[in-house]
Amino acid sequence: MLEIRNLKCYYGRIRALSGVSLSVDQGEVVSLIGANGSGKSTLLTAISGLLPGWRGELLFEGESLAGLPPQEVVARGISMVPEGRLIFGALSVMDNLRLGAYLRIRKRDHFGVRQDLDKVLSIFPVLKERAGQDAGTLSGGEQQMLAIGRALMAKPRLLLLDEPSMGLAPKVVKQIFSTLSMLRDEGLTILVVEQNAQAALAVADRGYVLETGRMVLTGRAADLLEDEEVKRAYLGKDYAQFTEGRA
Amino acid sequence: MADHEPMDAQRLDPAKRAQRQLELLQATLNRVHRAVPFYKDRFMENRTEPGEVESLKDIAKLPFTFRSHLADHYPYGLFAVPLRDIVRIHTAPGLGVHPVVSGYTRQDLSTWKEIVQRGLSASGLAATDILQICLDPGLANWGRDYKDAAEVLGASVIPLTSLSLEKQQMVLSDYKTSVLVTTPTFAAQLAAGLSSSGIHPNELALRSLILVGEPLSRDARTSLEETFGLTAWSQYGLSDVPGPAVAFECEEHEGMHVNEDHFLPEIVDPRTREPVAEGEEGELVLTTLTTRAFPLIRFATGDRMRFIQEPCKCGRTLRRVQWLPGRTDDTAVIRGVKVHHDQILSHVERVLGFVPERFKFRAVQDERASMLEVWMGVDDHLFSDEVKVLEGSVQAVSAALSQELGVPVCVRLKETSQMNGRAGWV
Repeated sequence: MLEIRNLKCYYGRIRALSGVSLSVDQGEVVSLIGANGSGKSTLLTAISGLLPGWRGELLFEGESLAGLPPQEVVARGISMVPEGRLIFGALSVMDNLRLGAYLRIRKRDHFGVRQDLDKVLSIFPVLKERAGQDAGTLSGGEQQMLAIGRALMAKPRLLLLDEPSMGLAPKVVKQIFSTLSMLRDEGLTILVVEQNAQAALAVADRGYVLETGRMVLTGRAADLLEDEEVKRAYLGKDYAQFTEGRA
Repeated sequence: MADHEPMDAQRLDPAKRAQRQLELLQATLNRVHRAVPFYKDRFMENRTEPGEVESLKDIAKLPFTFRSHLADHYPYGLFAVPLRDIVRIHTAPGLGVHPVVSGYTRQDLSTWKEIVQRGLSASGLAATDILQICLDPGLANWGRDYKDAAEVLGASVIPLTSLSLEKQQMVLSDYKTSVLVTTPTFAAQLAAGLSSSGIHPNELALRSLILVGEPLSRDARTSLEETFGLTAWSQYGLSDVPGPAVAFECEEHEGMHVNEDHFLPEIVDPRTREPVAEGEEGELVLTTLTTRAFPLIRFATGDRMRFIQEPCKCGRTLRRVQWLPGRTDDTAVIRGVKVHHDQILSHVERVLGFVPERFKFRAVQDERASMLEVWMGVDDHLFSDEVKVLEGSVQAVSAALSQELGVPVCVRLKETSQMNGRAGWV
């Protein structure tokens, strides 16, 4: 569904991604893990059209995403849940959700939007309870649910999530990720970028490990969870021990 | 991990497989560049870096790894993970005095188990089978990998142990072995041995021969299949490093499928080192895609192969190779074990302190025996007027070679006048 080959991204003259290849199949959950500054978020911003000027190949359903502005990428069927949720705090929960369907409302798909709104509210019942409240008054976990709900309102085929666990309590993280596996079971394809490797790999089919702009490992998520190097670097084991010289 | 993998991985759409291979290749190159100074230096000498590999074809920009490099970095120089991640250390004879030491992480072992299981499943191995492994000590790591994989599939395994031909025959017939893993040479010897010991092949429960270590000619296959009334399955592996079943035969028996999700195969001209035209024969070069502890980048195997272009009727999309007899280097294959010219010379030099001026060796392979035969010309260095001393030298060389190479060795003395040329294969 998504095929990326040799993606290179730049911030001015700084290269953030040095030739990264990654793919996501229809119906898969794929996790991209890596430390802070490894380039994970850069990859998502490039896919969603927010970072022009990348080089390489970026194909969605066989067609290039090169040169597409963000709204065109959304129209193709890709929605992103950005890092830090970026919800509109002064707007109500319901208005935030409706904004997610902006392109569809403009196309007068009111019936479809209504249906999806019901669906999102059934996935996240708490949003229904808070429908009229300002989004800014929600807890971190609720805001994350709202951000996911808003992305779903665009009726994406591929959902991108940037650090959905950030700043959330372990219990809430668990809840968010079980929602992701539920969405996958319903046929949604998901690419999730995470520092919380444990949570992200636990729900994923496959995973990739990014290190300073280069891919260093890829494989089945279950295998990566068992991987000694991944354990040390990303699963809370001592990183210093890992970088010690080899015998 | 599932015991029986779904067939999907073997039937993946070629374009999708190419994408996955590129991802795995790039990650492997980034890892070796970071963790193995040998590869980093080789890339630098070649004025290339992992980032330049943007397609599978671009692998041709990278330098080859030769067998001689492996022992140069004795013992742990080519490991790509810290030693504490290693759970198995394997030793194989090297080209010089030092052996080749390779390591496996826990993950590597489970990957190998899956690779070998795939080959065994393709040959129809089932939980009801009794599988006997009969290989020379030089192929001990294959013995272990076949054992591990067959056990996962639930077969009853008679693992590799050093037994005489007679004892192997006894086990084969009394234990009702249904699948035998061995080399074509040994299978032929077994066929000959059975007839002389009065056991009729019909009395055996044997239904499958998994033949490793040497290419299987059409004649040899027909002869074995007819003698025993069974099906033979050829499998290809690397003995000095990783392991067996890199490529395996399916029910069509038309070449072997390469496990392309774990290895990237290339076929190159052994002289020019350029890729051959599709379908032409050349030397098989392998790059590991999933190996963690002991990755290999463009490893020149010395084995002669050609790609089979047509898709296989079995539906697997894993590319097929045809394994051709002979080698592209100074190596002979004796009972499946690779023996290199330099290896023999270095061990003889270590034992005697010199290499006799006239010195020849050859691989003897017939129905009665298969061994390394070494002829030493009795020159001034070697000569002694005491027979005991001469005998001592013969014994020392023979013991050292069979110990180091893991194959039977027969050393003979010869008049130098009857020998010509420098040291080497006959």
